[in-house]
Amino acid sequence: MSELNKTIPVRSIWRKERSLPRFELLNKIMQKRKAKYSFFMMLGIILIGIIGPWIAPHDPTKTYYEAFMQGPSAEFWLGTDAIGRDILSRLLYGTRVTLTVAVLASAMTFVAGTLIGVTSAYLGGIFDNVMMRIMDVLLALPGIVLALAIVAALGPSQENAMIAIGIASIPGFAILVRGAALTIKGSGYVEASRSIGSSNWWIIINQLIPNISNILIVYTTMFIGSAILGTSALGFIGLGAQPPTPEWGTMLSEGKDYLREAWWLATFPGLAITIVVFTVYMLGDALRDIFDPKS
Amino acid sequence: MTTPILEIKNLQKRFLWGKGWFQEPSYVHAVNGVNLTVNEGETLGIVGESGCGKSTLGRCILRLVEPTEGEIRFEGSDIRTFSKAGMHGARRNMQMVFQNPFDTLNPKLTIQHILTEPLIAHHIPIQQRQALVEETIEIVGLGKRHLARYAHEFSGGQRQRIGIARALMLRPKLIIADEPVSALDVSIQSQILNLLQDLQEQFSLTYLFISHDLSVVEHIADRVAVMYLGEVIELAKKEDLFRKPMHPYAQSLLSAVPVSDPDEKRERIILTGDLPSPSNPPTGCKFHQRCWACMDVCKKEVPALKEVEGRMVACHLY
Repeated sequence: MSELNKTIPVRSIWRKERSLPRFELLNKIMQKRKAKYSFFMMLGIILIGIIGPWIAPHDPTKTYYEAFMQGPSAEFWLGTDAIGRDILSRLLYGTRVTLTVAVLASAMTFVAGTLIGVTSAYLGGIFDNVMMRIMDVLLALPGIVLALAIVAALGPSQENAMIAIGIASIPGFAILVRGAALTIKGSGYVEASRSIGSSNWWIIINQLIPNISNILIVYTTMFIGSAILGTSALGFIGLGAQPPTPEWGTMLSEGKDYLREAWWLATFPGLAITIVVFTVYMLGDALRDIFDPKS
Repeated sequence: MTTPILEIKNLQKRFLWGKGWFQEPSYVHAVNGVNLTVNEGETLGIVGESGCGKSTLGRCILRLVEPTEGEIRFEGSDIRTFSKAGMHGARRNMQMVFQNPFDTLNPKLTIQHILTEPLIAHHIPIQQRQALVEETIEIVGLGKRHLARYAHEFSGGQRQRIGIARALMLRPKLIIADEPVSALDVSIQSQILNLLQDLQEQFSLTYLFISHDLSVVEHIADRVAVMYLGEVIELAKKEDLFRKPMHPYAQSLLSAVPVSDPDEKRERIILTGDLPSPSNPPTGCKFHQRCWACMDVCKKEVPALKEVEGRMVACHLY
């Protein structure tokens, strides 16, 4: 009897049978080292974004007149900038700004891109052709140039930077989603649904989208990474969040003039951007490995 | 007294095959002028080799692919003229069981969800849905406990039962079964066939049973239509066809069925050549290149489907 218990891991059989698909993802993330670490790092970054303002040691917009351009010290851990503001506090506040812009921009891309991609794939014909040609035209412009044009038209602000980045990444997302949706469209259960007489919208929402959800999760994660880079780039050239809002790209741009005298001004925002983007991409990569072990 | 439930007249389906800017469009004639009548309560078997258009015919009847030409009369009215709403209503009475039970059940939905879909699509009141789902899953030989599970937790035979339950949810009059057992083991095949026969009695269903397996068709069908390259070449009662096929193609097809009696000697007719390309069909009788009884007239004239000895045959021999 004990022999039997050893050879057949009862618990794992039980779990395999009972685990619902929606918890499967979390289980799989915990099983892979890369996925696990990047997932926890991401959670940590999000946590900082949420509680940043409370743990920040100083007011991010307050000028300390006795401490212009001071190097890292016990009072100002990461130093102060050219007008005497605490860099650590600005970074902590900035996490929230950057994450909000990136997540909202990606949400925009996700909703519009999924809608365009899935309807285009499902309806086919002229609608598909027209939509995809429009996407091709938008895709022909590099994303950042398109975003620049949109911000230039709307005026520089944090919200407009978000809208610009969201719109600029829609074409790439829509085309990826369309490709995935096309394979599902050809499957037997979509045809079965049509033979039953379900409406197109019902089929899109209940059959198509759940079956491409894996791909949607991976792509959205990847797009959050690009959105963070895009936000910082717009901030760097002064078209993102306006001063004195603490934004990483803006901080980087303020620091670049003093690289020789005060390395900490540009280094820490740069590091922050690098770490966050790296984490997001690593998580996206790990998710792709989980969903598609073949590639 | 037999009343026709489905009448198909001169049904044609062409698929656009090649189209370029300076090129004449070319077509594949998947279904080429099929005339069929399905009577209420009967099982009409459709047999033919791969690529002869039998599945396309089934899909055309449900307008899953839009036929190019012809009439499909279901209970007297031509469903090809129906609007979107009219077709939606007609679908309530005609459902389909698909070939591959591994592909036709959505892996992300529970069986409960899959079986409720037809009820949602046809606006069955919410209060009745649960009872109908539970009743139907038991009719096909599964239980209430299976409803919360996902499709991947079932075997092929069980999945096909779920596929049948889904087709049965709306209590249709006509079920088009497109090779419903060809993806299953032989032992499971007979279970599913028996289930289909029981359901036919219980709900007075009419089946259009598409298969390439002659022994399956012999088991379940009342009448059998043999298709070749998009056309019906022989339509006969099952007993007649299996006892004495008349069209040379039907003869060769039936001679390929294995015989269980080792002493019985039967001539095996082996056809030479392949199925001609449906995009460039031969002139005259489409079978003439492979036929051993080919005459000159066969190369020029297309034989019409005409009545011979109480059945329909399309051959110049008769």
